[in-house]
Amino acid sequence: MTAALRIFFFGGITSYRALFHWLTPWILIPTFIVEPIFQVLFFAFVGRDAGVGDDSFYLIGNAVQFAAIPCLFAMGNTIGNERYTQTLGLLLASPARRLPLFLGRALPVIINGFCVSLVVLVLGALVLRVHIPAEAWVPIVGVLVVTSFSCTGLGLATAALALRVRETAVLSNIIIGILIVFCGVNVPLSALPAWMSTISYVLPLTHGIEAARDLAGGASWSAVTGLVATEALIGVVYAALGMAMLFALEVESRRHASLELA
Amino acid sequence: MPVIEVDQLARSYRSGSRFSRGARTEVEAVRGISFEVEPGELFGLLGPNGAGKTTTIKMLITLLLPTGGSARVLGYDVVADPREVRRRIGYVFGGDKGLYERLSGYDNLRYFAELYGVPPREQRQRIAELLDLVGLTGKEGQRVEGYSRGMRQRLHIARGLLHKPDVLFLDEPSIGIDPVGARELRETVAALVSTGTTVLLTTHYMFEDDELCDRIAVIAGGAILAEGTPEQLKSRVADGHVVEIEVFDGVDDRIDAVRAIAGVTSVGVESSDRSQLLVVRTAAAAQVTPAVLAALEGRSLGRVATREPTLEDAYVELVRDA
Ligand SMILES: Nc1ncnc2c1ncn2[C@@H]1O[C@H](COP(=O)(O)OP(=O)(O)OP(=O)(O)O)[C@@H](O)[C@H]1O
Ligand SMILES: [Mg+2]
Repeated sequence: MTAALRIFFFGGITSYRALFHWLTPWILIPTFIVEPIFQVLFFAFVGRDAGVGDDSFYLIGNAVQFAAIPCLFAMGNTIGNERYTQTLGLLLASPARRLPLFLGRALPVIINGFCVSLVVLVLGALVLRVHIPAEAWVPIVGVLVVTSFSCTGLGLATAALALRVRETAVLSNIIIGILIVFCGVNVPLSALPAWMSTISYVLPLTHGIEAARDLAGGASWSAVTGLVATEALIGVVYAALGMAMLFALEVESRRHASLELA
Repeated sequence: MPVIEVDQLARSYRSGSRFSRGARTEVEAVRGISFEVEPGELFGLLGPNGAGKTTTIKMLITLLLPTGGSARVLGYDVVADPREVRRRIGYVFGGDKGLYERLSGYDNLRYFAELYGVPPREQRQRIAELLDLVGLTGKEGQRVEGYSRGMRQRLHIARGLLHKPDVLFLDEPSIGIDPVGARELRETVAALVSTGTTVLLTTHYMFEDDELCDRIAVIAGGAILAEGTPEQLKSRVADGHVVEIEVFDGVDDRIDAVRAIAGVTSVGVESSDRSQLLVVRTAAAAQVTPAVLAALEGRSLGRVATREPTLEDAYVELVRDA
């Protein structure tokens, strides 16, 4: 394996272990299993009572949305926390290529997001007795992977911003709030004011949720490829934006001593 | 060819809020310094807080761009070829930050071995050697959050050496370390230099420089005040001897009289609770001491001692005059 690939894979996992401080069962299980199930049940019951959507609508919306939580927070932590550990200066003083150095951190985060949304979907389906057709599961898994990727792209952009403004958790929380409201998680896009649904089309999650709902409703994979491709493209754009910001930050910090590096 | 060539290197910082107008001020942290470090040398940058030591090091390790002048490390320009410089240098700063607390000491080293492109097959052995060098063998499996300050500092040193750098930059490496640990650190650094590594070290601790360094530059206010071997610096500022006399009942009214004695170069007073210490610098202690004692006739005196000037005497005089 070349040095860059090793930094991407091995370095990425190490950074994730080093900096994502939620990695203890006391945080992981409540945050990634218990709380999501409560949220799914809450919206499903509200939905039943109000007679708006069916259980499947809420289950899929919330399960896919839960990929965004680790994607934003873990990505924010694994890059933003370099500041607290005061290791950023050491990273930037190293000759390592920056692209694998930072992008590698996204891989474990994507896997984390995917696992969370899959677990929530399976458990939620069992608890609410939502029937998802057997042949829909494989394409839905694909959608979850792509959505986790796009949310991680947004996470990377947020993390780069966090390095500049210093508070990753606050920023991530705001963005999660925006995603929940704008992306059709619990409210159909058609029910949103026009300007909100316009914004939702440039956010990750929106197209992924729609694709997963279509698949659960019996649509074929070929019917949702456009949605999935759009979701992936949005992820690529945010990730590129994040990397560009990280490069710019490094240049700026050398010029203006803007990051406290040691 | 010198390993480090610094030519009229300067760096100023803009500080103040980026939002409020007029409040911005410019601090000249380093004002056009020049020096060279030869292969295998241990070069010390000695100076008070805010002298510009860290700023200088940050420019040499490519973390900060100079605002004036130039610097080359191993022949590579720190601005034009940062990656070539980074590959070949190690960097260690003092204090207990800069480590991944949640990882073991071993994993911290593994990670940086990857960043510096240490071939995977060599990593295990290299890390074992370094753990041995810094005395952390057996502790490498523990999470760093349980390490003491001294252990952290030793881990830092190991980290800085993973890729066998040709030049090592040490910014106050012994800060917060106990005397035994600091001595071990000096031994480690001396051992490195004996194997051919060039070291640039900053410190406030005079004896550290005196004991270790081949050459020293005294820096204050962003400028180099003096440069030379520890011996040269000592003789340059205070050649001769220092006579110290402990006086119990006041000495201030006699200072002028002491200063007037032929052969006295300077006189200082250090006060403590019970007594004052008269510090007389002179070229010839044997002739001067009786005259000084005569000038203090009638005072109750304690210890009277003659000693060689230390680097600290030289340093205090230099920095005070600056
Ligand atoms: N990022 C920065 N922004 C603005 N001013 C700075 C910055 N870093 C350092 N300075 C200023 O530059 C001057 C030199 O600082 P520097 O850290 O280089 O000193 P030093 O010799 O390393 O001091 P110490 O012994 O305390 O570590 C100081 O006046 C300091 O306030
Ligand atoms: Mg400093």
